[in-house]
Amino acid sequence: MTADLEELKILERELERLTGCDISTSFIGGVFGGTYRRAVFRDMGLFLNLCFTEAIVTVLVFIFSLPVGLLVIRNSPQSINQLSGMGQVLQPMLVITLLIMVAWNLFLWLKYRRLQALNYLLDEVDRYNEMLTAIQVLERLGAVNNEAGLSDRDQVLEALNLTRNSLICGLITEKILRDNRGMLARRTDLLATIETNLATLRTLEICDRATEYGQLLNTALQIGVSVHREVQTLTARP
Amino acid sequence: MNYFSTVVSLLRDRQDFLEEIHQEVKLKSKISALMISSFCFFALYGGIIGAFHSPLQILSSAIKLPALYLITLLVCLPALYIFNTLFGAKQSIAQHFTYLLTAVSVIAILLCGFAPVTLFFLITVNDYHFFMLLNVAIFALTGVLGVSFLYQIMKPIAADDDTQSIKIRTNILRFWLILYGFVGSQLGWTLRPFFGSPTMPFELFRAREGSFFSGVWNSLINFLF
Repeated sequence: MTADLEELKILERELERLTGCDISTSFIGGVFGGTYRRAVFRDMGLFLNLCFTEAIVTVLVFIFSLPVGLLVIRNSPQSINQLSGMGQVLQPMLVITLLIMVAWNLFLWLKYRRLQALNYLLDEVDRYNEMLTAIQVLERLGAVNNEAGLSDRDQVLEALNLTRNSLICGLITEKILRDNRGMLARRTDLLATIETNLATLRTLEICDRATEYGQLLNTALQIGVSVHREVQTLTARP
Repeated sequence: MNYFSTVVSLLRDRQDFLEEIHQEVKLKSKISALMISSFCFFALYGGIIGAFHSPLQILSSAIKLPALYLITLLVCLPALYIFNTLFGAKQSIAQHFTYLLTAVSVIAILLCGFAPVTLFFLITVNDYHFFMLLNVAIFALTGVLGVSFLYQIMKPIAADDDTQSIKIRTNILRFWLILYGFVGSQLGWTLRPFFGSPTMPFELFRAREGSFFSGVWNSLINFLF
């Protein structure tokens, strides 16, 4: 069971293949040229990581503007040990750093707005992976306590597969629409797949909704609904 | 995003890491992680060597040492990419950049490995010329190891192309490594001081005179006699 669940996870390499973007916990498309994920504003650790990244990038930009400072003192034969000389070198470097950082943050924000749908879907993928981990933990606890396996096991696997397919369809749809702004026939097929999966999820009968498995299956259903709603929003856009 | 975990995966699974670069897997993450982590390691070592002089020198060297390696890399990258592509290389500029950053990160990690040694001599020895020559030796050793690592990972292999093209690109790589050393040493001389002479006040940059090799020679003479 644990091996099956591990195979159901949607990992970063598969995400890269599906979305065409380099996906990490904090960024989509890398630090340079990408944008941040929604998760950085919900998780304190990720937010601090973002602040650390901003600080390091500022210093890196300052470093790469060093040739401009050297150009300013190119014809100066003396050493730079007075405040006025240091100011002459550092001023243009600081101005360039400031301009580049403002431009870079503006770029991050604009790209963040453009990739909102992908951001949303990636949050659902995280939720789905967390759900799988929770089920794995429950399975291991059950094995330790010598409890009988869940009678709904096949339904659990089916629900997880359906949710996985919905997420993958959602990601592919988002990628197609992102790459090709016009209407494509394929998106209708993908939307139909999501709707079918959602209907199937809803019909799954769970013996006891109050159990942890029942709650997890409910989460799978919620993810399916979210993905369907997001893809409908995407396809409704002109 | 844990930038240092990329460096750890480079150290632990070097072959897999290089294979991922070859297949263009997560290149952007690798570039940002390697650049940020190599900056941190260089800044740490730069701060240590600057501590010989004053707090201002610590800050100055912590900025200048990463600048030395990263700007040299950026200055020499276009030459390597254009010549390699001209003679049959199929890798993209992003892949070239990632390979070079990998080698620079290896140098940064090696320098960090020597940081406790440098710190020890900083505390126990008060001889500027000895300290400078020790660090020249450390920089030379880490530079040679980093450059030989780069040579191994970027050397064209028989599976990629015909023998003539491989021979040309191997020579291009050797020429480029000499160019890298040349540009790096000149930039290092331009950006000095990194250590700061104990007899002089803090200087952001020294007057442009002599060259890197004459400076090392003078220190050697002062130390021996």
